[in-house]
Amino acid sequence: MPNLLELKEVHAGYGPRSVLHGVSLSVPEGGIVSLLGANGAGKTTTLRAITAGVRWSGDIIFGGRSLRRLATEEIVRAGIAHVPEGRGICTELTVDENLKLGSHLRRDGAEVRKDYDRVFEYFPVLKERRKLSASTLSGGEQQMLALARALLMKPKLMLLDEPSLGLAPLVVRAIFQIVKSINQASRVAVLLVEQNARIALELSSSAYVLEVGRVAVSGASADLKDNESVRRSYLGY
Amino acid sequence: MQEFFQQVVSGIAIGGIFASLALALVLIYNAMGLVNFAQGEMAMFATFVAYALINRGMSYWIAFPITLVLAFGGGILIQRLVIKPVERAPVLTLVIITLGLATLVNGFAGFIFGYVPRSFPSPFSADSADLFGVFISYRDMGVIAVSGLVLLGVYLLLQRTTVGLTMRAAAHHPEASRLLGVQVSWMLALGWGLASAVGAVSGIMVAPILLLEPNMMQSIIIYAFAAAVLGGIESPLGAVIGGLIVGVTVNLAGAYLPGVGGDLQLAVGLAIIIAVLIARPNGLFGRAAIRRV
Repeated sequence: MPNLLELKEVHAGYGPRSVLHGVSLSVPEGGIVSLLGANGAGKTTTLRAITAGVRWSGDIIFGGRSLRRLATEEIVRAGIAHVPEGRGICTELTVDENLKLGSHLRRDGAEVRKDYDRVFEYFPVLKERRKLSASTLSGGEQQMLALARALLMKPKLMLLDEPSLGLAPLVVRAIFQIVKSINQASRVAVLLVEQNARIALELSSSAYVLEVGRVAVSGASADLKDNESVRRSYLGY
Repeated sequence: MQEFFQQVVSGIAIGGIFASLALALVLIYNAMGLVNFAQGEMAMFATFVAYALINRGMSYWIAFPITLVLAFGGGILIQRLVIKPVERAPVLTLVIITLGLATLVNGFAGFIFGYVPRSFPSPFSADSADLFGVFISYRDMGVIAVSGLVLLGVYLLLQRTTVGLTMRAAAHHPEASRLLGVQVSWMLALGWGLASAVGAVSGIMVAPILLLEPNMMQSIIIYAFAAAVLGGIESPLGAVIGGLIVGVTVNLAGAYLPGVGGDLQLAVGLAIIIAVLIARPNGLFGRAAIRRV
């Protein structure tokens, strides 16, 4: 499969503090890839580099085109939906308005309506709460809203930053199941950052483990899962 | 009693003018967390533009929308040229810059148009209509109608259109909005344009009452601050209701409180600001600012 996203020797950091020391990874078209590692390993920074939220050097290629010097808005318009750390919900707005922000750039009206139906099929609770302020949603519901909104952007690639954070195990299961359905139904590739390595490896086909800003281990998710020493030294379970 | 109702209606009319300028302040406050001290001067300058157009023989109702469009463009231009380069500066820097901008626009207007007060036409007749025994001037009714339409227009734009939605999102959640493809910087520029146009309405409406000169808006901006603070500085609806309350209060105080008259009305506006800040710092519609410490 051709690569949809490719990071080549990416260095990035905040001011003088450098966080990534040459990260290379790739996400195939329609694939799910996990990015694992301990706190502070650079997982979030890697995602932020992709959508120009942090200065970086090296090269990032998306759909055959370098993202160098592109602004966040342009990268998003090129087809990357980034659900950031903390979910990026606009709590001043209603649930409906948040969803509208997801689809506001699209001009394919009929398709958009179909996608709304799909979104409400996945997340019926959002339909019930459409008119309410997004600030009234629980953590799990906000995560659902963030996913729904990302889906409505009709992206080629979704970047998900710790979707399981702060959620009950049952809710996490449900959300990962839906990520899988979205991936299969619309061929959206997913780059998934997770602390919860066990569940991430079940979902993804390949995985990278970051350690202090470098890729320490990478491979097929199934292999990493079965490898005792990798599990013990890097994944902590 | 009649006299009282007449004073109330006049208060609502002047309150509509305060409300427009207060709404302009709120639009920019929401977008940048900053009070634009140049808002009144920008409105004054736009009024001079309308004056120049009408003086060249243009009809009032053509000059009015043209002025609003020019004010809109001017607001965008100011944001791009003056504000955007210092977007990330501390708030105090930005405050000083808007103060400097106010002085600059004021001096520029004086340089071009001079300081002689000029009478500005009103399209509404000075006669009064008898409504159930209360005499209400067509001027007051006209001002109320125009301010009402403008405020309604802004409301519909912000609440019912996609551009309005992206403007609100960009103002409150710039980082999240960028990740949804919103061009945040341009939305802020649109906010400045919109504020400038809404402010211009207040200038054009108040000029027939006050006479047009470069310092015309300096008292009005105080009332607008009072209205915005009373409404809770972040709330567009609050600004409108605050404007009406301030207008009616100031008008009644001028008419009935011994010693206030026309001269001390401004002090009433300032008293409202101080009273609100002491008794209810978040205004009528504002929410308490919650900060993690």
